[in-house]
Amino acid sequence: MTRNLEAALIVAASVIAGLGVAIVEFAGGSWLDAQVALTLITFLAAFGGLHMAIRTWSPSADPLLLPVTAFLTGVGFIEVYRIDPRLANVQRWSLLVAAGVGAWVSYVLRSEGVAVLRRYRYLFLAGAVVLLVLPLLPSSWPLHGATVNGSRLWVRLNLPGLDRALSFQPGEVAKVLLAIFLASYLADRAPAMSVVDRSIGRLRLPEPRYLAPVAIAAGAAFLVLIYQRDLGASLLIFALFIVMLYAATGRAVYLGVGAVLVIVGGVVGYLSFGHVQRRVAGWLHPFADYTDTGYQVAQGLFALGSGSLTGAGLGLGRPDAIPAATTDYIFAAIGEELGLAGTIAVIAAFVLLVTIGFGIALRSRDRFRKFLATGLTALLGIQTALILAGVLRILPVTGITLPFLSYGGSSLLASMTTVVLLARISHEERT
Amino acid sequence: MNDPIRRLAYGILTIFAVLAVVATYTQAVAGPEYRDDPRNVRLAAFRTGRERGAIVTADGTVVAVSQPDPDDPRSFRRSYPHRDLYGHVVGYTSVLFSSTGLEKERARDLVSNRGSTISGVLDVVFGRDIGPRGLRLTIEHELQAAAAEALGDQRGAIVALDPATGAVLAMVSSPGFDPNTVIGRGAGSAGVALEQDPDRPLVDRAIEEVYPPGSTFKVITTAAALESGVAGPSASFPDRLEQTLPGSTATIRNFDRGRCGEGTEVTLADAFVRSCNTVFAALGMQVGAERLVTTAEAFGFNEEIPFDLPVVAARIPEAASFSDDPAATAQNAIGQRDVVATPMQMALVAAAVANDGTAMVPYVVDTVFTSDGRVEERTEPVPWRRAVSPATAAVLAELMERTVISGTARRAAVPGVRIAGKTGTAEVTGGAPHAWFIGFAPLDPEPGRRQIAVAVVVESGGVAGESASGGSVAAPIAADLFREFLGLPG
Repeated sequence: MTRNLEAALIVAASVIAGLGVAIVEFAGGSWLDAQVALTLITFLAAFGGLHMAIRTWSPSADPLLLPVTAFLTGVGFIEVYRIDPRLANVQRWSLLVAAGVGAWVSYVLRSEGVAVLRRYRYLFLAGAVVLLVLPLLPSSWPLHGATVNGSRLWVRLNLPGLDRALSFQPGEVAKVLLAIFLASYLADRAPAMSVVDRSIGRLRLPEPRYLAPVAIAAGAAFLVLIYQRDLGASLLIFALFIVMLYAATGRAVYLGVGAVLVIVGGVVGYLSFGHVQRRVAGWLHPFADYTDTGYQVAQGLFALGSGSLTGAGLGLGRPDAIPAATTDYIFAAIGEELGLAGTIAVIAAFVLLVTIGFGIALRSRDRFRKFLATGLTALLGIQTALILAGVLRILPVTGITLPFLSYGGSSLLASMTTVVLLARISHEERT
Repeated sequence: MNDPIRRLAYGILTIFAVLAVVATYTQAVAGPEYRDDPRNVRLAAFRTGRERGAIVTADGTVVAVSQPDPDDPRSFRRSYPHRDLYGHVVGYTSVLFSSTGLEKERARDLVSNRGSTISGVLDVVFGRDIGPRGLRLTIEHELQAAAAEALGDQRGAIVALDPATGAVLAMVSSPGFDPNTVIGRGAGSAGVALEQDPDRPLVDRAIEEVYPPGSTFKVITTAAALESGVAGPSASFPDRLEQTLPGSTATIRNFDRGRCGEGTEVTLADAFVRSCNTVFAALGMQVGAERLVTTAEAFGFNEEIPFDLPVVAARIPEAASFSDDPAATAQNAIGQRDVVATPMQMALVAAAVANDGTAMVPYVVDTVFTSDGRVEERTEPVPWRRAVSPATAAVLAELMERTVISGTARRAAVPGVRIAGKTGTAEVTGGAPHAWFIGFAPLDPEPGRRQIAVAVVVESGGVAGESASGGSVAAPIAADLFREFLGLPG
């Protein structure tokens, strides 16, 4: 029954995506064309396929996860298509690949469930480390790192017979692997780590060796920060460590230490990197240096403000004026064309997703599944909050993607895997 | 073990609540401020990129059209096929230089209604026309082209009206500019160059510039005399070499520095035909400031002319300011000193004389039509003001006809056509005089045939320079227009 509801909602979300593309086409002066059908078919294939995989291998999974995901992916796709139809054509393939990987994950976990992941935790840790280090490969190799906007986040693979390199952002996937590793590690160690055996004044500390993970997290994040020069990715990885430690131990001291280290890291990053300084300057005074450091932030605010309550209408705004409108600033582009109605709808969908995710974590009986659901949900929520806070000028822009909505295959693949894992965990709690 | 997870969930959801509040503030509260920020290119760029309706002349010649932008299929590119011929009337919409002309004044009609508003969507659903409206002008392309050609490289302006309706048949200002240059690539430097050009090509001299009307103003002075009964056409005036001005050491002489007629006496009619300043200075003082101003205002002076484009008001000082200054009255009576008028105003003076003393509201937009060609709005001719009585108008027309037959406006004559006209040579301190002609043709139209009333001004004498006069420079231009309008070979 719930699976039929899921199927119906997925069809609805796919129709929304198709209609959105139709409206964009109409605003551009043309009428229904192949793009509309292509979009509808892609979404039905991708999410219909995932639905079938869930229906077959995780039939008791939460029925709202996939439809909300489809809705968010659809809204993002419409806006990417509106800004650059060529990118949307690439994104269509990314979506199919991400859905394929999601279905495959669902298949792999069909008999033993996510418990199988727990056993191979060091494999995931190693995989995450390798992925994080990949962008440092020298540019002369066929598989090599690349620097974009001051950050070395990308890996490119030059294949013979392909006119352009395949690009990949391994950090996106590394985060999910790290969440799996941490959930597994903490499931075994958390009870010991939450024991209080010493205190300094009112501050009660766990045994020093149990603080080691925090040091490792901080170290890893700092390494990412220094080598890849990317504030957003390192902050996200660090936040994942801290949040999972807190969730596993219930010790607020991790949050406190984490906050201090974030501030220290932020200051170090600010002092060390010019592009971080520029982003802070653009954040504090976007209009003081409007043509340079403040340009992106100011364009984002112009877009959001021009959108007002109901937006300019799909295809009728000027989101192309915003730098990185299809990636970091997709939220501003949506705000311009769909208005406050669109931005609140997007925020509400994320709230729904995060609520479902934490609900799954709270209901989980098994410690590993509980931590995994917590980690994955927190990752999704924090990543979303960080980039939205950047676009809305609450924080400096950190240069990370908005899950599901931003253009980019790696991000979509990681987010989709997250949802499939959450769906699987929710299935396991109901059987 | 669930407590920290629950707190974590509340924490993250609280952050999302804050995001929603900030998004609401940014878009709904602070939104208009960001939207209207001058650095926000959206509104202007969006305006120029939208499809705008076509503008065509009375005969269907396309003078402004929007075509899909080959570089960006989502937006349109405006083009003006006749370049500077319609530059001032049609104007442009530019991101950098805002808007002018009909593109500005009729933006509401011209801009596409295709939008995201609910009514826009409903219109689509119900199959209503949502395309932009087009404008059909009253201007006739051949006449417009003839006017521009007749003016040539000389600075000046021409306004031609249908006296019975007020429809603008031609409206040219020289030098012109090509609106394509202000909106296309390199618009920035092209626009700045136009703005800084000492010849001020962006100014529409037909409606935005005022000139001393010179002797063309004698039509109004004569009208004041006729209406008030101060003097009729046969009234006799002393034929002096120069007219002294009470309370002033200055004197007024005739254009050729000679006498007006044969000797001692001259009639008002002859003085009109020969445009004698001495007589009109004396007449002006007889008429007095009060009646002079009242009559000028009856023709539309000191009032903004209702038109599709903003027109600068012609000016004559308040009567009280010069009623006890005969010298000023005399100088104002011959269209000098403090009297200034736009070519549009002087064309309306000629048109009022042609139309039994009634000036019609001038208009240049004939119809507004939908994108499927249906006429949505048609401008109906409306009387603007009764300048003089039909009887006075008839006398003025007769005097003006004599001026063309045997007076200063002889070069406006077209064989076989009864034409009325009055020239003016407006003195300018420190420069060559402005050459004027106002008039209309034919005087006695066959039933069903239209008339044309024109005003021509050539700034600083044009190519003739210091030696220019209204009769030698402006009248032949009017003759070209009359021939074109009447379909007679040049």
